[in-house]
Amino acid sequence: MRTYQGDFVIDLPRQTVWEFVMDPQRMGPCVPDLLKLDVESETRFHTLVRVGVGPVRGKFNLTVEVTVTEPEESAELSVRGGGMGSRVDMKAKLTLSDTESGGTKLDWRCDAAISGPIASLGGRMIDNEARKITEKLFANLREALSSVSEQVAATSTETAEPESTD
Amino acid sequence: MAVRQTELRPLGKSVGRKEDPRFIRGKGRYIDDIVLPGMLYMCLVRSPYAHARIKSIDTSEAMQAPGVKLVITGEDLAAMNLAWMPTMANDQQMVLATGKVLYQYQEVAAVIAETREQAVDAAQLVYVDYEPLPVVVDPFKALEPDAPILREDREQKSNLIFHWEAGDKEATEELFRNAPVVVKQDVRFPRVHPSPLEPCGCIADYNTATGKLTWYVTSQAPHAHRTVLSLVSGLPEHQIRVISPDVGGGFGNKVPVYPGYVCAVVASLKLGKPVKWIETRTENTTSTGFARDYHMTAEIAAEEDGRVLALRVKTIADHGAFDAAADPSKFPAGLFSIVTGSYNFKEAFVEVDGVYTNKAPGGVAYRCSFRVTEAAYLIERVMDVLARRVGVDPAELRKRNFIRKEQFPYKSPTGWTYDSGDYEKTLALALEKIGYEELRKEQAEKRARGELMGIGISTFTEVVGAGPSHTFDIMGIKMFDSAQIRVHPTGKVIARLGVRHQGQGHETTFAQIIAQELGLSTDDVIVEEGDTDTAPYGLGTYASRSTPTAGGAAALCARRIREKAKKIAAHLLEVGEEDVVFDGVAFSAKGLASRTVTMKDIAFAAYTNVPEGMEPGLEATYYYDPPNLTFPHGAYIAVVDIDKGTGAVKVRRFLAVDDCGTVINPMIVEGQVHGGLTEGFAIAFMQDIPFDEDGNCLATNWMDYLVPTALDTPKWETDRTVTPSPHHPIGAKGVGESPNVGSPAAFVNAVVDALAPLGVEHIDMPIFPWKVWKILREHGVTE
Repeated sequence: MRTYQGDFVIDLPRQTVWEFVMDPQRMGPCVPDLLKLDVESETRFHTLVRVGVGPVRGKFNLTVEVTVTEPEESAELSVRGGGMGSRVDMKAKLTLSDTESGGTKLDWRCDAAISGPIASLGGRMIDNEARKITEKLFANLREALSSVSEQVAATSTETAEPESTD
Repeated sequence: MAVRQTELRPLGKSVGRKEDPRFIRGKGRYIDDIVLPGMLYMCLVRSPYAHARIKSIDTSEAMQAPGVKLVITGEDLAAMNLAWMPTMANDQQMVLATGKVLYQYQEVAAVIAETREQAVDAAQLVYVDYEPLPVVVDPFKALEPDAPILREDREQKSNLIFHWEAGDKEATEELFRNAPVVVKQDVRFPRVHPSPLEPCGCIADYNTATGKLTWYVTSQAPHAHRTVLSLVSGLPEHQIRVISPDVGGGFGNKVPVYPGYVCAVVASLKLGKPVKWIETRTENTTSTGFARDYHMTAEIAAEEDGRVLALRVKTIADHGAFDAAADPSKFPAGLFSIVTGSYNFKEAFVEVDGVYTNKAPGGVAYRCSFRVTEAAYLIERVMDVLARRVGVDPAELRKRNFIRKEQFPYKSPTGWTYDSGDYEKTLALALEKIGYEELRKEQAEKRARGELMGIGISTFTEVVGAGPSHTFDIMGIKMFDSAQIRVHPTGKVIARLGVRHQGQGHETTFAQIIAQELGLSTDDVIVEEGDTDTAPYGLGTYASRSTPTAGGAAALCARRIREKAKKIAAHLLEVGEEDVVFDGVAFSAKGLASRTVTMKDIAFAAYTNVPEGMEPGLEATYYYDPPNLTFPHGAYIAVVDIDKGTGAVKVRRFLAVDDCGTVINPMIVEGQVHGGLTEGFAIAFMQDIPFDEDGNCLATNWMDYLVPTALDTPKWETDRTVTPSPHHPIGAKGVGESPNVGSPAAFVNAVVDALAPLGVEHIDMPIFPWKVWKILREHGVTE
């Protein structure tokens, strides 16, 4: 079992962040090297991602299930799946909290059980690879959220001037 | 240098190897070189989990994939009563997992397709629904009362496989109670892998018309494999032909029967086509027989001057998920009880607990006669601990404790009868040759300058020639070995043996024995092995048993032929049989040296002009059941320098003095010694198969599991003494494993000796530079 964790601050209100991360259609594309996203329901979706750790290269089929533990505050994700004879079982936990400046702090923790060639062949490289994937994920998330914040800004403009629309 | 094949009386000479031209020129024929018409390819689906319940297996998509002919699961095998197979250690092992998997990379399904690529691709489409279970990788934890029980198929609900004892417990305790000195040391021999250059593989070819199965397999023991296959499959033995082609290294790895073999046979029986299965390197490293993995504790009771009294040993042997150790069935821990080594212990008591864990099964005799390597390493390591404690030089301590030349045949406290040996002579030669006194002086000077130099000694005793039928068997089959010699009319010989070489040079060695006995040159003798349809029944090549058993058979078989040849010679020379003498080259009439006939004359006469009433022809078969094992020994000395900045150990010199009795071909013996020393060096400094707590195997290929190249390997110095075995027909004892058995202790003793000024008493293998560097840092030697 490997544990990865971290946190970062987003310059948006907690509710906006919550709605984004709980929406598979919007959150899914933030996953690095995503090849296919198949949303089954609000709380269950399937992804096909490209994986490459050392000599193990191929595609992973992952099923993600989301459980809300505290609305607008915390949720748990279970990620299960694998490919190329390897398996991944992850339990991730997200916690959102308000920052003093009106933004949102996102704390995350992920316990991953990784088995098969990806763990044994790629074992020495896996922590670095996991760090890179997480960094990429959150970079994507930040980028997506910044476009959300532009949209939010745009929307607020629109709401402020309803007559400008037809 | 090699001498010519045409040499007469070739025994003891470095005759050039008959097999080299084909190996050097790429003309060898290995399993993957064989292509049969209509052949299909098999790929195995393996478990990613070390312990998990199998909820379901979905093969439907794989069956639809291009080129796929068949997908086999454990349930399919269960329907044929083949889901489990017996192991050599009287346990049973899953062929394809049913119910649950017990180690990572365990075989779960087999996919057979028209091409290898199609089989590999389709294997990805077999969906297995696993429910992970708690994993046990530590054998000590496996023995705790609340540990998960791994083997639900066993009656005994515990992870303990066996408890085994040897020696006299009470008498040993008594000596320990009154001993002035007692030393104790925990020693671990890591899990290592034989890593032959060619991985395992087979082609099963079932002919639906004749009902005959031809099975090409990388086998060290083709006849034993045929018998096991017959017992498991129900096919009669005469309808199975096992062919072991050129084998690219065995080292014990090609003794067991692996699930892939059984699956390939089942697939060929079902499809009526040849099915080839060749392992990848990762499959070989992770799922086929590993070696060692012993956690040992030894205590020596001694006098104040270092003379040993008694030895007490406790061991935990990690056998993985199934007990598939290669051991004669009477010895659950093999010949580990040889742990008293070269020393005259009054008493000894040895205990071994075998334990199940979530790791690949095995315990093969990797260049080692059934756990002798672990035993030799332990005693040679602990003798050094004792030397340091009593303040006696390790060479001197050994001299004080050796079994004396005149004590042979020597009965050990754990019940073995050593045939012969001269330990003092061997050590004396080694000390002189390496310049021991000067080295110790140099070491003292270096120490004064703060440099780290170490000298390590190992004076081991090896036990080989597994064969005596009164104590040795594999699954009940007695471990004799055999030879069949046929002399053709022109005096050319084809000899077939029951063993099967994997690079050891049998074609030359046995030709030398036979040529010597018959008065021919090795050029006149062709040795064939590895085809069960032509070779006499034998138990195979492993545990350095070929020369002690099949070599004995070859000599005695040739002598049978010589007896008949002598009768024919008498007829040709027109003298009485008692007047015929053989000088190793020709037969002559006593006192009339000019009247001679050679084996060639006799061979021709055997088919054209035999004495009246004699059966024509000149051939014989011999099944040799040796009266005892043979006990080669050696004295090895390693000299190392340690780099204080990096912790890297440089083996500056290494001298191996071996005594393997009569030497048949010095060049081949030296080659064997070089190979074994290189393996011992790798074990001491480079190799381990570790697992993480989830049971993921962390050394799965040659990126993680290091194999030394010519650049890593030290220059080996060798020499020898000769103490013939008194009971072997030509006095030979066997040498192939000695260097692997004896050298790890010499390396570790040298490193510990170098670090001794820091108070270091022991360091576990493999001695990676970072381990040494950590010690140096802890002691403030380096920053």
